[in-house]
Amino acid sequence: MASFASTAVLPTCGAGCGAQRGSRCVARASLVAAPAPATARTHYEVLGVGAGASRCEIKAAYRRLAREVHPDAGGRGDEGFIRLHAAYATLAEPDERARYDRAVAVAAPVRSRAAPAGFRQRRWETDQCW
Amino acid sequence: MAEQFYTVASDSETTGEDKSQPSLPDVAIGIDIGTSKCSVAVWNGHQVELLKNTRNQKGMRSYVMFKDDTLSAGVTGGAAKENAHEERDILSGSAIFNMKRLIGRMDTDEVVQASKTLPFLVQTLGIGVRPFIAALVNNMWRSTTPEEVLAIFLLELKALVEMHLKHPVRNAVLTIPVAFSRFQQTRIERACAMAGLHVLRLMPEPTAVALLYAQQQQQLMHDNMGSGIEKIALIFNMGAGYCDAAVAATAGGVSQIRALSGCTAGGEDILQNIMRHVLPNFDSLYAGQTVDRIHSMSLLRIATQDAIHKLVNQETVEINIDLGNGHKVSKVLDHSEFEQVNRAIFDKCEKIINQCLVDAKLVPEDINDVVLVGGCSKIPRIRSLVLGLCKKEISYKNIDALEAAVSGAALEGAIASGVNDSSGSLDLLTIQATPMNLGIRAYGDSFAAIIPRNTTVPARRDMLFTTTHDNQTEALIAVYEGEGERAEDNHLLGYFKITGIPAAPKGTVEISVCMDIDAANVLRVFAGVGKPQGPAIPPFIEVRMPTLDDGHGWCGQALAKMYGKTLDLAVLPKKLQP
Repeated sequence: MASFASTAVLPTCGAGCGAQRGSRCVARASLVAAPAPATARTHYEVLGVGAGASRCEIKAAYRRLAREVHPDAGGRGDEGFIRLHAAYATLAEPDERARYDRAVAVAAPVRSRAAPAGFRQRRWETDQCW
Repeated sequence: MAEQFYTVASDSETTGEDKSQPSLPDVAIGIDIGTSKCSVAVWNGHQVELLKNTRNQKGMRSYVMFKDDTLSAGVTGGAAKENAHEERDILSGSAIFNMKRLIGRMDTDEVVQASKTLPFLVQTLGIGVRPFIAALVNNMWRSTTPEEVLAIFLLELKALVEMHLKHPVRNAVLTIPVAFSRFQQTRIERACAMAGLHVLRLMPEPTAVALLYAQQQQQLMHDNMGSGIEKIALIFNMGAGYCDAAVAATAGGVSQIRALSGCTAGGEDILQNIMRHVLPNFDSLYAGQTVDRIHSMSLLRIATQDAIHKLVNQETVEINIDLGNGHKVSKVLDHSEFEQVNRAIFDKCEKIINQCLVDAKLVPEDINDVVLVGGCSKIPRIRSLVLGLCKKEISYKNIDALEAAVSGAALEGAIASGVNDSSGSLDLLTIQATPMNLGIRAYGDSFAAIIPRNTTVPARRDMLFTTTHDNQTEALIAVYEGEGERAEDNHLLGYFKITGIPAAPKGTVEISVCMDIDAANVLRVFAGVGKPQGPAIPPFIEVRMPTLDDGHGWCGQALAKMYGKTLDLAVLPKKLQP
C-alpha cells in the first residue's frame, strides 16, 4: 500500500523489532526521528506513520515506539506512552480511525497550512471497514 | 524468633545446586504464592531457575504450623524427616493455610464464609470487618491474621533463597490473582514488608505466563523458526483458589495484555462441592469445631482430594472412608457426576473466558495458542471447556502448568531489576492492563467508572461531575473498584471530601475527577472544582489510593448513610461539557 507521508519507512509487522536489543536502557524519544514538540500532533505524527498506513504498520510502529517511551522500557514519565497508546488505540480500530479522520478533515482548513495537502486524507474506498 | 527458621533451612541434604552462581545481588526474585502451593524462582544469569526446598520440592505447600512456641512454614515442611508434616498434621487445626483466599477480605465475603469449614478457626460477625482466625495450639485457639501467616511463610521462603544464592535478598516480584482488589494488594505488600521483602511489582498471574510465552516466541524468532508476526494467546490459569484468563498479543518481544478477567473459583471450591456431595449433612456435622470433628473432617478432605486427583486419569473413582462416630462415606464418583456437582464453577470459568474475548474484541478464530496453567488445568472438563470455547484441538505445549507463573515472575524480576542479557532473552516488554473498573459513587448508590477495566496502563482518565442540590458546597468522592453496577457491590478504596464549592444552582458547577495509574500500578485520584474558576476556588486534592486500612465494608455503608444524599454527585451530561 502506498504511503502518503514520507515520515518513516517502517518494517513490516514484527520483523526487525527483535533487532532492537537493549533498547530498554537506551530509550528516549531522541532515537525516533525526533518529531516537533509534543503539542498538537496528530495520531499519525505520534506514531510516525503516513495517513495511509496499514493496520499492520500501525501496530509495528506502536510496538517499536513502546519500547522507547514505555516507563518500563526506560521512557521518562507516563505522558509519552499515554499519548502513544491513545494514538494507537484510535488508529488500530477501523471505526475509530474513520471517525478520527473525519474529525481531522473538518478541522483541516485551519491546520492544512501546517502539513502538506493530502497528508491526512485517506482513500476511503480501499481501506474502510464498511 | 526469625533465627529459628534459618537454622532449619541449613539442613540441605538434597540441594545439589551449589555450583557457583554469578553474583546478582540486586536481582528481584519471583514468587508465586499459591492458595495450595508456593514456588520461588530466580534469574541465575542465563535463565530462570526454580529453587527446591530441603525435601526436594519445587512446589511447597502453603501453610504455617503453630506448635507450642515455634512456628514453621510449608517451605521446609517441618524439615527433618521424623518431624515432617503430613497432610493430616496440616489439617489438624494447628496449621493455617489458604492465606491467599483470606487475605484482605471482610467477614461478609462469601469466600470467607466458605472458609469456615476449614480445620482452623475462621469466625465471622457478618458486618464487614476482618474475620477472626486462629490455630489450635495445645488445645487452645491462638489468634493470628492472614498477613502474619503469609509473612512467616515468606520469611522462611526468603531464608531458603538466601541459602541458595548466598547473599541477602531484598526485592521480589509476586504474582497475584486477577481478581485481587487493590486493597488485597496492599495486604500482600504489607506481609512482604513484615518478611523484609520489598515488592518490586505485583503481577497478575496470567500476565506472568504471558511474559514467558512472549519470551518463547521471541526465542523462536531468533532461531528463525517463528514468522515474527503477531501471535495471540489466550491464557487460562486455575489453581486452588482463583481462576484467571488473559488475552495477550505478542510480537517482537512486546506483549500487550488485551484483556484480563478473573474470579474466585478454584480447586478449593471443587473440593468443598464434592465433600458436600458425598456427605450431604456435611455442614450440620461440622458446625462448631471440636477436635473430633476436625479430625474426621480432615479424613474426608484427604479422601476427597485424593479422589479428585485420581479422577483426572480414571473413568470412575471410589471414596470409602470411615469418619468415626458411626459416619461412613461410600461412594463411586464418575466424570458426569463430578461435572454436574461443579457446574457452577465451570460456568464461572466459561464466563471469564467469554468476557476476555469480548473485551479483547476477538473471536475464537483469532487465537493462535491456548495456554493452560495451574493445578486445575489438569481436570479434563476444564481442558475441554477452554479449548472448546477457543475452538482449538490442543493446548500450547511448551509451558509447564505448575511452573509458568513463577518463571514469569522471575523473568519480570530480572527485567525490572535492569539485568541485561547478551542473548536478548530479557529484551521483553509487557504492556499491562488494569483488570477492574475504577470509579466513584454517584447518583446515590450508582457507580460511575472513570477508568474502565482492561484499559492499558499507564493510564489517565477524567470525568466531569456536578452537584445534585442547589447551593451544595461539599461533595463526597468515594472511590470504588469492581465490576458491579452499584457502588456497594464494589470494593471501597478510599474517600475524601471536596469542600468550598461555590454556591450555585444544582447541575451548574463542574467537578473534575481524574484518575491516574502509573507504570508501577499506583492509583492516584485528583479532584476539585473545574468550573467556575478563580481565586475563590479551593485547590485540587490529590489522593493516593487505597487509603482505607480496614473495615471497608462497614465504612462504605456508614458513608452512604451519613452523606449519601447530602454530598452526592451526578455525572455531568456530555452535552453540557465543553
